[in-house]
Order: sequence, then C-alpha cells, then structure tokens
Amino acid sequence: MRLPYLTIIALTTIASIALTACHDLPEMPDNPSDPASNFDQLWTILDEHYCFFAQKDVDWDEVYKLYSIRVSPEMSQEELFDVCAAMLDELQDGHTNLSAPFNTSYYRAWWSDYPQNYDQRLVEQHYFNFNYRSVGGIDYGMLPQNIGYVRYPSFSYAIGESNLDYVLAYCATASGLIIDIRDNGGGSMSNVGTLVSRFISTPTPAGYIMHKTGPGHDDFSEPFAYSYNPAAEGRIRWSKPVVVLVNRSTYSAANNFVSVMRQLPQVSIVGARTGGGSGMPFNSELSNGWGVRFSACSVLDTEGRSTEAGIDPSPGCAVDLDAMQALEGRDSMLDFAINLLLK
Amino acid sequence: METIRRLSVIIAMLLPIVAYGGRPVTSAFSIEAGASRISDTYLSPLPYHGWHTGLDYERFQAMRHNPERCIMRLNINATLDRTLNPAGNAAMWQAGVDASWAMMWRWTLRWTPGLRVAAGGMADLDAGALYLSRNGNNPVSARAAVTLGLTAMATWSTRIGRLPVTVRYQPSMPIIGACFSPAYGELYYEMALGNRSGLVHVAWPGNRFVIKNLLTADLRFGATALRIGYSGKFISGKINDIVTRYASHSVTVGVSGEWISLDPRGRNRSSTPDISAYY
Repeated sequence: MRLPYLTIIALTTIASIALTACHDLPEMPDNPSDPASNFDQLWTILDEHYCFFAQKDVDWDEVYKLYSIRVSPEMSQEELFDVCAAMLDELQDGHTNLSAPFNTSYYRAWWSDYPQNYDQRLVEQHYFNFNYRSVGGIDYGMLPQNIGYVRYPSFSYAIGESNLDYVLAYCATASGLIIDIRDNGGGSMSNVGTLVSRFISTPTPAGYIMHKTGPGHDDFSEPFAYSYNPAAEGRIRWSKPVVVLVNRSTYSAANNFVSVMRQLPQVSIVGARTGGGSGMPFNSELSNGWGVRFSACSVLDTEGRSTEAGIDPSPGCAVDLDAMQALEGRDSMLDFAINLLLK
Repeated sequence: METIRRLSVIIAMLLPIVAYGGRPVTSAFSIEAGASRISDTYLSPLPYHGWHTGLDYERFQAMRHNPERCIMRLNINATLDRTLNPAGNAAMWQAGVDASWAMMWRWTLRWTPGLRVAAGGMADLDAGALYLSRNGNNPVSARAAVTLGLTAMATWSTRIGRLPVTVRYQPSMPIIGACFSPAYGELYYEMALGNRSGLVHVAWPGNRFVIKNLLTADLRFGATALRIGYSGKFISGKINDIVTRYASHSVTVGVSGEWISLDPRGRNRSSTPDISAYY
C-alpha cells in the first residue's frame, strides 16, 4: 500500500512543478540597458495594457515597424529615449509619459494646438484686486454682481469638508456660483466625488469604468456603473445655478468632474472644449530603470461615451478668451459666465 | 530596561500556553533574515531582489484525544522585504502574515532510533501586500489566500557530544482554497467604487503554487533550546494573466522550549509520562 501513496506524492510534486513552469515571467536581457530590449519592453507594455488602441485607431504593430528600425545597439540612452518618446506620441495621449533621469516625455499637442483661454492674473487683478480668500488649494471670493467665484486649480489638492463648508457659506447669499477649473490638469478622483457631493441631493450616477481583462487589445470588462453620494447631513450643499468654467487644459480628473456636473440641471459648462484624458493611468517600468505611465482604464460618462477627446461646453456656451478685451482687463469667458448667471 | 521587562512578560505569557495531562507545549520564537526575489506583473514586469526579514512563532502540542499519535502545530509568521529593481532606482516593499494550523499523525520508526515522522493536513491564511512607490494609480498589489494543504515533518533527536539536539525538516504546501486577485488591469480604485466581482478565485497548485520549507536544529541547553535553521518560501501564481513570483531564503535564529502549566491544586496533572509533540 505504500507504493501508491509515494507515487501519488511524486506525481503531485512533478505536476506542480510543471504547472509552475506555465507561470512565465517576461524575459529579462543580460544587459539591462540594451536599447533593442528596452524598446521591445516598452512596446510590449503598451501593447498589453494600453486601453485606447481601437478608439484612437492606432495600429500598434505598424508603429513597431516604423520605430524599431530606428533602434540600434550603438545608440545612446538619450537617442533611445527620443525614439521611444516619438513612438509614444503616436498615441496622442497626455496620460502617456516616459520618464528617464534626464527627461520626461510628454505629448503636448492635445492642449498646445488650442488657445489657452486663461490668464490667472487677469482674474486676480482685475476682478479681485488680489483680494480673495484661499483655503485648502481653493481660491474664492464674491464678485460685485453678487456671484460667488471658486477657483480650483488642481484636483491634486485635497479638499477638506470643513473647508468646503466655509467656502459655500461665504457664497451663500450669491445668486449663482462660478467654479473656474481652467488649466486644472486633474489629480485625485476622490476629490471629484467630494466636490460633486455638494451639488447633488441624491445618489447620482457618475459614469462607468472599465478595465483590461487580458493582454489583447479588445480584452475589456463590462462597464461598471458608479455613482456619487451627496454630502453628509449637516454639510452645506449648493442648489442654486452653477457655471463650470473650462478650457482645453481642463484635463483628466477635472475632465471627469465636468462629465458628471454637466448632467445636473442647475449646471452650465462654459468655455472651450476640455482636454479629455479619461483613461486612468497605470505605471510600469523598463529594465534600464525608466518609468512609463499610460492610460489603462477607460472612464465613460453616464451615457457610456468616452470623454477621452474632451467635452464640449453646454449648447450656446462656447466662448474663448478675447485677447483685445483681456488687454482692457476683461476676461470674456468669466464675463460670459457672470451674464449667464444674471439672466 | 522597562521595555525589555515588559517584552519578557509578554513572551513569558505566550510561551507556556496551558497544557494539561502531560502534554507539554513546545513553543519557539525565531527571527529570520535573508534574501528574497519578487515579481508581480501587476506592478512591474521586472524582478526585484533584496533583503528579507521576519518573525516567527511556532507552537506544538500532542492532541488530547490521541496524544501518542496526533500532534498539532500552530505557526504565525510575519515578514518584511525590501527589494530593488535591476536598475536599483525603485524599491518594492513586501509585508505579510502567514498563519497556519496543522494536525499531523506521527510515527516512530523502529529501525531508526530518534527519528520520527509526521504528516497531515493544515489550514492556512496568507495575507500581505507589495508596495511599489514609483507607481501612481497601481502602487499596491494585495495578497490573500485561505487554503487547506498538506504538511509533513521529520524530527531526529540525537546528541552532539553531551548536547541533545533535535533536527527537524518540515515542508508545507497548500492544495486547495480561495485567493484574491484583481483583474488584469483593474485598479483598486474601481474596487473601492464597488466593483468586487471576480476578485475571489479557487486556489490550487496550478494557479497558485506555494511551498514552504523549514529546516531547524534545536540545541537543547536544559529547559530551553537555541534554535537555528533555514526557512524558505516559494510562491508562483498566475491568475487573470497576472504572474506573481516570490522566493525567500533566510537563516533563522530563535529560542524554543517545552513548557507545562501546573494546576496548584494538582487536579490537572496527569500521572502518566509527558508526551512531547516535538522532542
């Protein structure tokens, strides 16, 4: 009777070791700085994890052919970086960067090809005479037309619930509120929820999120619906009209904030098309130590549409910064928002 | 000194877990230090290498219903690793706790005096996390598994000169259970939003192979013993196309002892000889 037990144990051990061999890890080069290997690693990371190939109609295999021939064993790390960065630029994605000790690549055309539409000093000087309040990354004040103004430059700044109470209480007598998120390049999605919670009274659908389920370009999960809850009882909520002021540099988490706020009946989106950036980024790295960041999870709006290409202003609310008026100390976009709230 | 005194009291409280009826408890506290290699493709495709350290508590006792043949083992192991990527410019931390309870049937081999073997089943809870600081939205990869498995043990009691020594080899391997894994490209943020589907998987050696090896020698100086040895843990898994690999090799040093609690009223003290689960 002993032999079968020993046979079972031996077979189990062999089978386990054989199965473990199926858990393949990516092969590493003998030389961690080898240009061809690092180029291939970068291409493969994007090939297996990037989430917008189909949406952006990018043939990643063609991209490989186009750029791999520019890689040679003799090239310097900086030359390799330039080739890799150019390859990533094919994705036209502001969330996709390559980071080396000497440089970080950045696809800038998503905003550089558009008017900036924001001059911070114009507002601070000519509308507030540099006399405004600041708390927790938020600047705020009252405009002479009895309109509250909140400037939130980055969703990276944590928003305190008590801070928000003070801000909204200060503006409580205003007939409307302007939330200026021009040049807001994003940050933490949790701050989006915190801010949105002050403008809703019931749990509100915020959109969908979907992730890759495997390395194939079309391997995606079913979109998962998520929602935001209103601020807790006792916190100040805002139910009067709101204008969200945006420009092309309103990006990533700020873009997400716009996609949620635009569905609220009391909210108008004023300005220019936002920059998009609806892919939540992942990080990875190459054997030479460089880091890479890329869009990995697609966040959709409440109607299941991607906002990667940006969000248009509300109908009739598209407006750019008038350079001539700016010379006279007027922000034509802010003036438009004020007039909209005064109607 | 106050800290040392308090620590001594805590250890003293843990070591002599109450034993009745001549079934002494063998308890051991060990520290371990060595090297580890970690890969987790959710965080990075690169292997990380570095140091490994840990604390280990182990407790043996013969079981009440059949103390000659049945023994149980409780093991709690807490580990901490710090590893670097091949370029040396990013650090990955690992912290985890592995707790198991095993019940083994043991045999004394007549033709090899001093050698005893035991084998049985175990229940294991392994939980921990990897943290890679250079990653923004995906800095953490959590590990959690509840499994049933097999363990075996061979102990050989001998002497080096006049010094009693007990050498033990113990492999352990989870066989079946449940484990946690995110989807291939799923952010923990999405889980926090409420998407918990598909996070729990059946764990078996085909998708999560784990083996732990323990080789110790207890040098018995009177009532307590100095424990020295080797501890190794190997995990290889592939779930949702995420490949994880963890291997640690460490030297262990600790103190072990056999303890028995006596009821001052003498009601629980057995008249039969003590039956040690370990020595």
